[in-house]
Amino acid sequence: MEFKTSEGRIEIDAKRTGSAFTHEGMTIHTGDELWLEIDGRKHKAVATKVGDVWWVHVNGHTMQFEVIEPGASSSDDEGGLSAPMPGKILEVHVSEGQSVKSGDVLMVMEAMKMEHKIVASSDGKVESIHFREGDQVPQGAELLSLGE
Amino acid sequence: MLKRTLVANRGEIACRILRACREAGIEGVAIYASNDAGTLFTELADISVQLEGEGLAETYLNQEQILQIAIDTGCDSIHPGFGFLSERADFAQAVMDSGLIWVGPSPDAITKMGDKMTARITMKEAGVPVIPGEEVTGGLDEVLQIAPSVGYPLLLKATAGGGGKGMRAVHRQEDLESEARAAMREALNAFGDDRIYVERLLTGSRHIEIQVLADKYGKTIHLGERECSVQRRHQKVFEESPSVALDAELREAMGEAACAAARAVFYEGAGTVEFLVTPDGEFFFLEMNTRIQVEHPVTEMVTGVDLVREQLRIAGGQPMSCGPLNMRGHAIEVRLYAEDPSNNFLPAIGELKKFIAPSGPGVRLDTGVREGDAVTPDYDPMLAKLIVWAPSREEALQRMGRALDEFVVLGCTTNVRFLRELCTNQDVVDGWTTTDMIDRLWPDGWNPNISEQMSNAGLLVAAACESTNHGRVLTSSGESSAIPSPFSTINRRFP
Repeated sequence: MEFKTSEGRIEIDAKRTGSAFTHEGMTIHTGDELWLEIDGRKHKAVATKVGDVWWVHVNGHTMQFEVIEPGASSSDDEGGLSAPMPGKILEVHVSEGQSVKSGDVLMVMEAMKMEHKIVASSDGKVESIHFREGDQVPQGAELLSLGE
Repeated sequence: MLKRTLVANRGEIACRILRACREAGIEGVAIYASNDAGTLFTELADISVQLEGEGLAETYLNQEQILQIAIDTGCDSIHPGFGFLSERADFAQAVMDSGLIWVGPSPDAITKMGDKMTARITMKEAGVPVIPGEEVTGGLDEVLQIAPSVGYPLLLKATAGGGGKGMRAVHRQEDLESEARAAMREALNAFGDDRIYVERLLTGSRHIEIQVLADKYGKTIHLGERECSVQRRHQKVFEESPSVALDAELREAMGEAACAAARAVFYEGAGTVEFLVTPDGEFFFLEMNTRIQVEHPVTEMVTGVDLVREQLRIAGGQPMSCGPLNMRGHAIEVRLYAEDPSNNFLPAIGELKKFIAPSGPGVRLDTGVREGDAVTPDYDPMLAKLIVWAPSREEALQRMGRALDEFVVLGCTTNVRFLRELCTNQDVVDGWTTTDMIDRLWPDGWNPNISEQMSNAGLLVAAACESTNHGRVLTSSGESSAIPSPFSTINRRFP
């Protein structure tokens, strides 16, 4: 089984015995409640699925694991810069075809009454700009795309 | 005595005030925007009225509409909570002009304290020490002209401001112009007023505030301090009382200064005087918040005073019920924000699919949300406040850590883990909390400290849940309800 996390893709092959699953010396007992056994100690876990993402709480940690369907392509939206939240574009600092360096401010947007800088994650060239100053943008909208 | 109070607020603080009203035998009226329909605070009120319109300006900031609802529902008073209209002198005046009681200080006190420059002047005259800085009355040019004489690092603040909006720290002259433009723009958007002023940023200092209470019978007291130094983006995340930086002598000096500040504007009700305290124990007036404060619970826990109840009592014309100050034990509050601390504390949204609050001795949760609620970008990302009390600071930190470990929030990213790690951070444990500590401790941003074993455990849980369709309700269409249980009938007869 394969998942995507903020660290990248990760695979797990757990051994199933009835409603229990074992991996690297840890056992999880599934049912109405989730009990995790690590080194002979039991920890209660809570998990819920939102869309394709499993949210897991165990021992004071909250983690997210996105299920990757077998055979799904691994194309990540690299180079695309998307709006972290719904908001409004305040400033556009670059124009199409312009070369930018990693860390350059490309746009400034307002979301939840705070200003956020949209910063280039790598060196490259601005291929296209999808919004203008004053535009409202939904969450996840690709604001502009960077090429090599 | 108040009889019916309209609470002109939403979320967590509306819940807090409506509960206090219920306890005091006062009927509570809630107002809510359409996107708040069905949320917790609307259920805690005796009467709930939906506001017409969309967006803040048409709803929670709509003075005429709110006042009309108060009149139509037969209220004798309005409690503004914090934020929104709480520090709007014109609204306080309009409420009073309509013959209603404003649960708060006079419009004149709000005006004098709300404008930072007027406040500085008033405080100077009252003998309360103020921060060295330059007051700017005219636009960008004057900011640029005055900055060098104030010196770097400096702070640009919205004159009409609060809540970190329109506030910018500038460390180098070359950043001044762009930061000043941004600060003015944020100030204009947030407060409709782009005046800003420049003051020296006192690094390494603590943000300590004194709670004051004043009634109509000439009694003005202070209820000790709250230490609110742990901040991100100039917004507080971790507050405690008492502060490790104060001894009885400094507490008394600051308490006296805070009372002098309140008396200078003939203050009535609950208010907070904020000070910056330098490492040498010098203190400077920052501002006075003429309303109940987000972090008021820590004072309630250590002093045993119900501040909201006192507000209602004082507004109703009764004397306050507090005796001499008697601080006991230690209280800590953390603010649960829907935000991603590992991504520069960017606000987050989502549905609270799981929201399991901690409990146990000494644990208090002031929440505006519950499981199943959606966190939207429409409002402030603060969801709840978790407060603990324990006999000592050490035990309070341990209790907070334990409570945060129990706190399960799934479906929306929050700062729970960040708060948890603060509880064992050496600087926090040592009491070395300063306003710049988050930048100092995590200059490249914060990331959760998680062992490989724990992340493997999480992965195993996810894999097992995915394999077993965990939590998916298998609807056995009609089967369970087809055969009625005889016990349900018996239950109904003997409830």
